Amino acid sequence: MKKIYTTLFCLFSLLLIAQNDTVTKKKIKIYGGLESNAQWYTNDKERKIEHPEDPFRANSYLNLNVNYSRFTIGGQLESYEPTALLNYNPNFKKTDLGTYYANYKDKYLDFTVGHFYEQFGSGIILRTWEDRSLGINNALRGVKLNFKPIDAVSITALYGRQRTGFTLTDSDIYGINTDVTVSDFLKLENFKISTGFSYVVKDEKIESRTPPTYSNITTAYSTRLNLGYKNLYLNSEYNYKDHEPVLVRTFIDEKFIKPGNSLLLNLGYSKKGLGIDAVFRRMENMAFLSERQPTIYAPEISSLYFNDRILNYVPSLTKQHHSNLANIYVYQAQNRVAMQFDEQIEKFGEIGGQLDIFYNFKKGSALGGKYGTKISINSSNWFNLAADYSYINELGRYEPEYTTKFFKGNQKYFSDYNIEISKKITSNFKGNLMFSNQYYNDQYIRGIFQKNVIKSNILAVEGIYNFKDSKSLTIGAEHMWADNDRKNWASMSLEYNHNKNWSIFAMDMYNYGFDENIHTINEIDLFDIHFYNAGIAYKLGTGRLAVNYGRQRGGLVCAGGVCRFVPPSTGLGITLTKTF
Amino acid sequence: MKTLQLFLLFISISVFSQKTLPKLSLPTLDSKTIQIQDLNEKDKTYVLTFWATWCAPCIQELDGINDVYEDWKNNNIEVIAVSIDDSRTVNRVKPLVNGRGWEYQVLLDTKQELKRNLSISNPPYTVVIKNGKIELEQAGHSPGAEKEFFEKLKTL
Repeated sequence: MKKIYTTLFCLFSLLLIAQNDTVTKKKIKIYGGLESNAQWYTNDKERKIEHPEDPFRANSYLNLNVNYSRFTIGGQLESYEPTALLNYNPNFKKTDLGTYYANYKDKYLDFTVGHFYEQFGSGIILRTWEDRSLGINNALRGVKLNFKPIDAVSITALYGRQRTGFTLTDSDIYGINTDVTVSDFLKLENFKISTGFSYVVKDEKIESRTPPTYSNITTAYSTRLNLGYKNLYLNSEYNYKDHEPVLVRTFIDEKFIKPGNSLLLNLGYSKKGLGIDAVFRRMENMAFLSERQPTIYAPEISSLYFNDRILNYVPSLTKQHHSNLANIYVYQAQNRVAMQFDEQIEKFGEIGGQLDIFYNFKKGSALGGKYGTKISINSSNWFNLAADYSYINELGRYEPEYTTKFFKGNQKYFSDYNIEISKKITSNFKGNLMFSNQYYNDQYIRGIFQKNVIKSNILAVEGIYNFKDSKSLTIGAEHMWADNDRKNWASMSLEYNHNKNWSIFAMDMYNYGFDENIHTINEIDLFDIHFYNAGIAYKLGTGRLAVNYGRQRGGLVCAGGVCRFVPPSTGLGITLTKTF
Repeated sequence: MKTLQLFLLFISISVFSQKTLPKLSLPTLDSKTIQIQDLNEKDKTYVLTFWATWCAPCIQELDGINDVYEDWKNNNIEVIAVSIDDSRTVNRVKPLVNGRGWEYQVLLDTKQELKRNLSISNPPYTVVIKNGKIELEQAGHSPGAEKEFFEKLKTL
């Protein structure tokens, strides 16, 4: 009874607030958003799939903020009912307040108490963010202060405990960051120089029966130097993480204590009509978790598998293709050390780079044609680090050890060479062409015994035809030639936009090349199969409702270079988003 | 019961929502800083398009507007392309913008603060501002809808 009265009282007082002049004069501002992703999993006889317990599930998020002058408070209500969608972090269960905060912000200061998101440098030593499709929300709950005395200087200090599901981890995280635009002080005309420095401390109590071989405090730091001169730029970042036990599969090895580091270099040239960008990254043992020992749910399945309790952001530096087939073999950044004697796999990190060239052939030029032609070329190559290593120490006991060489690589993990051409052919018709050549070393990427390298070539064409009254039709066709694993695929897709509110789509990915004699990467859907999907979407202002039905291929779904494994499923999907 | 209470509380608050420009500053591609609340030149229409280098429909939308941008500028409409690329892809923003010959002002929302502030779920997403007020918001993009959108903007 008491609870019902409290609720009614809240509602009533809100109604009173609404009548108040301050709200109608728009002094109190309320804003937020709703997002709900639901799935209705069905049986699929052909795939031998049975729907899971609780076939209808939804992950929903309701975010609300109230602002008055320089103060804002807010929170996010999250609901995973009756359980979260398949293969999401098991800590996301039922309904509760996920994040909440109170904030004060003026010209120089920005102070938050509660949950906050922050990133230092490129995020390799600290990044907290939310990605709903991946089930990541690693916000810190504590206090954060940003101080910006002048445009050229920014200082941040923070303390918090990391969110995991609807609770917090036990460790304490402290961080400090400064970014200074040096060239502003030197009043340099064409030269731009900025530097940054970050320091992060993790304090996690060690539960150990024997005296610990490492400190409960792990520190990490980042230094950055960015230079720019007219159309050229060079950005550099070096990160170092202090000694910590290495995670061997799902257990930390308290006898295997190593530090980690990463070097990131980015060089580019850019002017109207041409853009070139090159990235080099070397990374060694840069896993950084708020709890060193992940929680084990099943053999090989730990909280880390769900991207839970990660403190940093280590995305794969490769091109995101929007073609269906080019996303089958997706590279995951290799930031962890893995010395697996049984599988004869030794990985220490990754070294490699990426190159992007964007060029616009102008209208009227030879290759440009009447409307111009746009080209994007990309290539990425990633290798294991070369190192001297041993499993046994001088006394003959098992004690893994390694020393890496700085600029030397070893086994190739992945490469992708691709080109995209985009051309408006008539005033109503536009065409896109994409070709990609990929190399995927499954054995090393996953750290398994089976030697499995897949070399593939993908060709994708797309035509967009605009009719009168904002109607448009997009047709796409793709083909993949692969020499291993599931071999060849073909795909077709169709999207029709009726007006600015309604659109429908249909697509199919057909693995006609499947050969049952070949051992595949994943032991699922072991036959030549159609992965079809069709749906309809309705948009109105800030709202969107989309419904689709089809087969979800089991495999990696990646967003922002971070991936999660999606199990194979068939069913109906409903997505609703609305901001207010 | 707790669930129901929280849910009702949130829904009742959301009924009284008004969205306005947040007080936020973002860097441009030339490393200058723009204050969002300063986008208030009298009677000028600002079209904030949220995009990313990995979002193909966003690039399509901005390519489409680029072809007719002169007309838009003549009608006192300015497009501000807000990139939500994070540290994985932010280095591709400048070469892509130059390589495609876009003339827009580009803002870098690398930490996705503006995106979160406006509760935007996924790009493409457009927010139209005039005289300091949010006049129109649109989720998603349909190819070829630029003309219709342009006509709508002229009426604001």
